[in-house]
Amino acid sequence: MLATYDWSLIWQYRIDFLDGLKVAIEVSFVAMILSVIVGIVLAVARMSKPPVSWVAVAYINIFRGVPALVSVIWVYFGWSLLLGISFTVFQAAVIALVALYSAFIAEIYRSALEAIPRGQREAGLALGMTSPRVFVQITLPQATKIAIPNIGSMFIGMVKDTSVFTVIGLLEVVRVTQNINSITFQPFVLYTAAAGLYVIAAFAIDFVFRAIEKSLTTPPKGRIAQTVHGRRRRRVEQIVRDYQAAA
Amino acid sequence: MSDNTPVASRATGSHGPAVVELRGIKKSYGPKEVLHGVDLTVHAGEHVVIFGPSGSGKSTLLRTINLLEEPNEGSVRVLGVEYGPGLGAVEKRGGPLQLRRHVGMVFQQFNLFPHLTALDNIARPLRSAKGLGRSEAEKAAATALQQVGLLNWAAHYPAQLSGGQAQRVAIARALSLDPEVMLFDEPTSALDPELVGEVLGVMRQLAESGMTMVIVTHELNFAREIGDFHVFMDEGLIVESGPRGFLDTCSNPRTKQFLAAVL
Repeated sequence: MLATYDWSLIWQYRIDFLDGLKVAIEVSFVAMILSVIVGIVLAVARMSKPPVSWVAVAYINIFRGVPALVSVIWVYFGWSLLLGISFTVFQAAVIALVALYSAFIAEIYRSALEAIPRGQREAGLALGMTSPRVFVQITLPQATKIAIPNIGSMFIGMVKDTSVFTVIGLLEVVRVTQNINSITFQPFVLYTAAAGLYVIAAFAIDFVFRAIEKSLTTPPKGRIAQTVHGRRRRRVEQIVRDYQAAA
Repeated sequence: MSDNTPVASRATGSHGPAVVELRGIKKSYGPKEVLHGVDLTVHAGEHVVIFGPSGSGKSTLLRTINLLEEPNEGSVRVLGVEYGPGLGAVEKRGGPLQLRRHVGMVFQQFNLFPHLTALDNIARPLRSAKGLGRSEAEKAAATALQQVGLLNWAAHYPAQLSGGQAQRVAIARALSLDPEVMLFDEPTSALDPELVGEVLGVMRQLAESGMTMVIVTHELNFAREIGDFHVFMDEGLIVESGPRGFLDTCSNPRTKQFLAAVL
């Protein structure tokens, strides 16, 4: 039997689809910020002396291997019982992602930090900066520039992984698609739309991360970077003029 | 004090009190000992030149002065305060942070921070090390750039500077902390030959202004010109040392052999 495809459904339910995508991106965004913070801490721990490094290695190796579906069920149902806290679906989704992705981002940051020449840290120390200051002001910004493209890939992965959170009832793209399908019975049309949404989101995220990467290149190349660095450049030029005027 | 090395001692001459005193410095990497007990004194206003073949331990020795290399044994005294493990009882001990705020260092690879402008390369560490406010630090950074003739390059990033300019910014950066002594670790070895001159020019000016300097270099003509005290190192020991004119009067066969090969 030849099925009839009602493509107008996509437009008809566009608000629901976009709401689903919004939830997916919100969860992923919060999870990404937290994963980067936890990932940096793990990377530093991983590069420290034993036994601290062992703890980080164990965490990274365990959590890199856990699927998102298992993680979210474990958090949402398991932890709730264990700790007696009931997480909202949003919280559970974020925690599940952070638990996994901080392990990946730790490895991304470790290799980025190792790529910074030792002389950078030595110069900072020789100039009388404290070790934490050297890390925050010298090493970390340079490592972040290297890590950004990979963090972008991780973000795309997170958005896709939110699709399994339908299992705890998070109203993301797949859950929305299921809901619409249960009324309209048009799985081909609806899941094509869902797939399209993920692809568009991936493109958009890639675009944003490329822009961030460009804005971090020094000397600034291209319009984005020059806009970002323009203010600082004008300030430095003003300092020079003030200095010359005073002399 | 170790008795297996010649002690670098001489009359203070026109120079002031001791700024840096290294005694019995031993340094090992794992089982391999690279400094076997080295003594060196640097007086205020003096320009000490250390030379020798690669692997002789000269850079390592220089780097023990600001504790980028921590000696396994021996005493690192700067301005009368002990920073190393020390020999015997130590009355006054300081931490590396305090030490490094008295000692400026210039590296072979410049080690400018690539993500910061020339001005910020100087201003950022200044704010952190001296606790200066933002505009104060920026003003001090501008003064430092002016001293090396690069004020107009303040808004440039390290990648936009020539090697010679980059090294001059690095010198300005080290000077901005107002150090009591400046350490130079082969400051011209990574430069194109035609850019060496501008860096040596800045160093010459600095020497003439009376700055205390310890220089590891292969530029022996420059060493001959500004060096008040010369130290020849080989295999983790000071082989021979001597005052101005040393390059012509040295007597140890190993020193003569090295000089014959490089001069």
